[in-house]
Amino acid sequence: MYNFEFEKPATIADAVAALGAEDAQALGGGQTLLPTMKQRLAMPTKLVSLSGIGEMQGVCSNNDGSLSIGGATTHATVAAEAAAQYPALADLASHIGDPAVRNRGTIGGSLANNDPAACYPAAALGSGATIVTNAREIAADDYFQGLFTTALEEGEIITGVRFPVPEAANYQKFLQPASRFALVGVFVAKFADGVRVAVTGASEDGVFRWSEAEQALSASFSPEAVNGLQVDPANMMGDIHGTKEYRAHLIGVLTKRAVAAAS
Amino acid sequence: MGKQIITLTVNGEKHEVAAEPRELLVHTLRETLKLTGPHVGCETSHCGACTVDIDGKSVKSCTMFAAQADGAEITTIEGIATPDGMHVLQEMFREHHGLQCGFCTPGMITRAYRLLQENPNPTEEEVRFGIAGNLCRCTGYQNIVKAILAAAAELNASKEAAQ
Amino acid sequence: MSVAKPLPHDAARLHVTGAARYVDDTPTPRGTLHLAFGLSQVAKGRITSLDLAPVRSSPGVVAVLTAEDLPFDNDVSPSNHDEPLLSDGTVNYIGQPLFLVLASSHRAARVAARKAVIGYAEETPLLTLDQALAADSRFEDGPRIYEKGDAAAAIAAAPRVVEGTFDLGGQEHFYLEGQAALALPQEDGGMLVNSSTQHPTEIQHKVAEAIGLPMHAVRVETRRMGGGFGGKESQGNALAVACALAARHTGLPCKMRYDRDDDMVITGKRHAFRISYRAGFDADGRLLGLEFTHLVNCGWAQDLSLPVADRAMLHSDNAYAIPAIRIESHRLKTNLQSATAYRGFGGPQGMVGIERVMDHIAHDLDLDPVELRRRNYYAAPGTATGDNTTPYGMEVSDFELHEMTAQLLQSADYAARRAEITAWNERHARLKRGLAFSPVKFGISFTLTHLNQAGALVHVYQDGSVHLNHGGTEMGQGLFQKVAQVAASRFGIPLEKVKITATDTAKVPNTSATAASSGSDLNGMAVMAACDTIRARMADHLARLHQLTPAEVIFDGGSVRIGATVEISFDEAAKLCYEGRISLSSTGFYKTPKLEWDRIKGQGRPFFYFAYGAALTEVVVDRLTGENRILRADILHDAGASLNPALDIGQVEGGYVQGAGWLTTEELVWDDKGALRTHAPSTYKIPACSDRPDVFNVALYDGQNREETIYRSKAVGEPPFMLGISAWLALSDAVASFGTTYPALNAPATAEEIWHAARRVSDGV
Repeated sequence: MYNFEFEKPATIADAVAALGAEDAQALGGGQTLLPTMKQRLAMPTKLVSLSGIGEMQGVCSNNDGSLSIGGATTHATVAAEAAAQYPALADLASHIGDPAVRNRGTIGGSLANNDPAACYPAAALGSGATIVTNAREIAADDYFQGLFTTALEEGEIITGVRFPVPEAANYQKFLQPASRFALVGVFVAKFADGVRVAVTGASEDGVFRWSEAEQALSASFSPEAVNGLQVDPANMMGDIHGTKEYRAHLIGVLTKRAVAAAS
Repeated sequence: MGKQIITLTVNGEKHEVAAEPRELLVHTLRETLKLTGPHVGCETSHCGACTVDIDGKSVKSCTMFAAQADGAEITTIEGIATPDGMHVLQEMFREHHGLQCGFCTPGMITRAYRLLQENPNPTEEEVRFGIAGNLCRCTGYQNIVKAILAAAAELNASKEAAQ
Repeated sequence: MSVAKPLPHDAARLHVTGAARYVDDTPTPRGTLHLAFGLSQVAKGRITSLDLAPVRSSPGVVAVLTAEDLPFDNDVSPSNHDEPLLSDGTVNYIGQPLFLVLASSHRAARVAARKAVIGYAEETPLLTLDQALAADSRFEDGPRIYEKGDAAAAIAAAPRVVEGTFDLGGQEHFYLEGQAALALPQEDGGMLVNSSTQHPTEIQHKVAEAIGLPMHAVRVETRRMGGGFGGKESQGNALAVACALAARHTGLPCKMRYDRDDDMVITGKRHAFRISYRAGFDADGRLLGLEFTHLVNCGWAQDLSLPVADRAMLHSDNAYAIPAIRIESHRLKTNLQSATAYRGFGGPQGMVGIERVMDHIAHDLDLDPVELRRRNYYAAPGTATGDNTTPYGMEVSDFELHEMTAQLLQSADYAARRAEITAWNERHARLKRGLAFSPVKFGISFTLTHLNQAGALVHVYQDGSVHLNHGGTEMGQGLFQKVAQVAASRFGIPLEKVKITATDTAKVPNTSATAASSGSDLNGMAVMAACDTIRARMADHLARLHQLTPAEVIFDGGSVRIGATVEISFDEAAKLCYEGRISLSSTGFYKTPKLEWDRIKGQGRPFFYFAYGAALTEVVVDRLTGENRILRADILHDAGASLNPALDIGQVEGGYVQGAGWLTTEELVWDDKGALRTHAPSTYKIPACSDRPDVFNVALYDGQNREETIYRSKAVGEPPFMLGISAWLALSDAVASFGTTYPALNAPATAEEIWHAARRVSDGV
């Protein structure tokens, strides 16, 4: 990979300032960025590590019952510390990658990258989470904008993510067995005012909400409610790991499983 | 852009090394510190042959810059043994034939070491899940799991004996 | 006695402490250069322009070599000189080395290699079997055909016939240690090479050719490989030759290791096949006539494709006596990586063919698949009433599978489990379990007869310690330990007194590759010969000292008993013999007897003996997704009188998992330009810990080799790989229970492949 400058600020303000430089890139756990840089698909001239910023670490409950997770919190930490309050989220985190990857990868890094097969986007969109940056708050519905594309501005950092905690939720992930990313992943969350269904791994444009299923499940939260509903394969991703048809089919299967398992 | 001085405490010994920011930790360990136990198997964070222990957590050293480890305490396979001799895990891997070509072994044992610290009494399922990030092409994993469970049993027995 | 003891791997202590050194761990002198290849981005065509200026001016680059700079031979082929180290201007596959970069660091070399500006005149590549067949692009002038009897007539007259065609994917070796070599130039132009290779003599030979010197000027040393599996039988030539040429060019030590991605893109893999079959049989399931067509995807260069494709033909019978058979094998040349040796060497592919036939017949007749197989087995020794020869005319005189099958079915509780699974399947609609048995009969010896030779060199030092060397290489299979156990047993001394040393062409010349599972057989016998020679001299001398006969000198337990009253330690005996001017060093040599093979006619005795195995695998499959898992595997494997049961069981477990992986999750995919898309562990799935069977019962069959092999043991490197075929058959069995149609699974049977098959079988319900 190309050479670069390396900085490790201690505060959000310092990080924002450092990211003001041209071709500067935020570094979370590096589990996605390093492989990308090794392939020379990314060539920042400066890396700004966010892992030393205390105010971006940790999982905490808010008074309104929502859960806030610092942007630099590792998957392993979320798996351990969110389990009591939001088990489906903790469960999702505990199945990202493998143990060593989970010790480094961060929620902020995952969401900022928006890999179309990553798990956290499904959790954030499925929960209707709020992505909190150094500058503003962005609703999940407005945040994910396509393949590796988000609403973040140049140099904007995800300082935290605020998750409303649903009545019941579950994440079903069908592994792309080599990479352990989601070939298809479905996050179902039941709130008092309705059900959200977020699908990752399947679409060319990244994570999306399956509104047809959401409507059916909001009317009746049961696996049978999804019977007969089918995502159009034409818009799905087809690649060496699975055809469009297979992915479209899996969405239906996993949604039903998630509903059945939601707690 | 040039080399920075970073401090790494490796296997109990403090080192000040000069490294470019882009230098991967595995290369610093292998080439600068001459610790060739952690191996380069894939350089893409999948195979686990480069696994080390950093501040009490298993990490794939091929997917970390040395600069990110500045100030950290690192244990490699070379530091797993105790002052009295081989660690129980190392003995069990040897005794239960948990290796064939040996290339995955340093990373596997380093990971197993931390696994048993985190979960001293794992079920077989938990061991399988716990070493999911370490690939072995030779053994079929059967004896690796046996070795780890045997080590757990022995460590727990000595803990009880000590109490 | 050390032999037959389940002792740990010889270097286990070094491995668990991280002290074991592989090529890339070897401390190198200051100034060592690092090498990288610049690779072709086009599958077929000619290079029209090659601008290397940006490469030469890249930081750290010392030199860049092209084919024009090569002073002597430009070839790394193990067979017919058709594989240049660096392209002569034609390109044959995406990943082909075009030029060689020498730089101050591994990274600098790789970075520089990507900077070349290359113009190609592209041609349409041949990427598939169909394309190659249509273009008659092949090795040898036409298909190789082996036949016995009149298969067509037998099939025409048969009461029932099944036929089919299926695809069988290749396999990436994924040795955890990638390819690596290091060359140190010697003062007189010679070369010392440290190579991660199964074949040091081949490295020596190719390096010598490349630097224009006789073989005696090149020395190759190999202490170990971090895995080989056949992938280091010929694929290491390119790195060693590159290092030697670069070392000669610069006068500096040169090291090369492939990055994993480069390794997967440059090197050859297991040959992919398409197999078509037509089988005629009677109402009891007895095979009457069988026709196979093998389409073999050899890649662009010949490498070892001919013997691989031959061995596939030689295993098309597997465990079954087939009265009439015809096998037509097309060795097709495509613009892909040159496929190479891989554990089983064509045997697995041929065996999958016949096992598929049996599976299909069992389904057609609704007959228990194990019973069907037993009805077609060769005769047990001494019970043959008619022809008991293979399609290539070799008598099967050591057939163990009647007894082994009975034992395995009993210990694995087959009958009860079969009934239980069938009942369970009737109660379940979405999930189905499958249970399948497959036997293995694998021929042991190199089919190229002259390779069946081995040498050894043993020294007993005057202090009684023993230095052991032979031509076999250690890649994790435990060869070094097993052979050391032989040496220790011959001298009657504890294993610790035997020093295992790196394979070294300067110690033992003209060795064959450690391949064909023959390492322990050949090298064990050679070592035995060397040890026995020394022991005989010692016995002779000690007997004379005491006016006794050599037969009264017994070596046992670290001591030497001379007659009834004298006992000295082995160390003392060595000292006495040294002082008596007795040579305590000897070479040893062995060549396999009884072999005789005509590969054109397909007749003779290519194998010294057969190794046997039997496996029963249980799986579960989910109709909705094709997800599947191996629930249980029971294996009984024949290692003869095992030299080391623990190491042999390790081979069986590892072989089974690797074989199952080949047929299920390991999928190689190329795009329509010929680029390998699955070139990393993120896209190519080898078995991980959670993939192994939940219950895994492995036992060694209690038997002895009928042939006089080393301590009556049997080869065990490759045969267990084919036990994984039972996993694929179990998936087929599970899928079959979704309906009535025959599943006709391809391999690898990925989740999506199984999902499609389940839909086919259940007619979309």
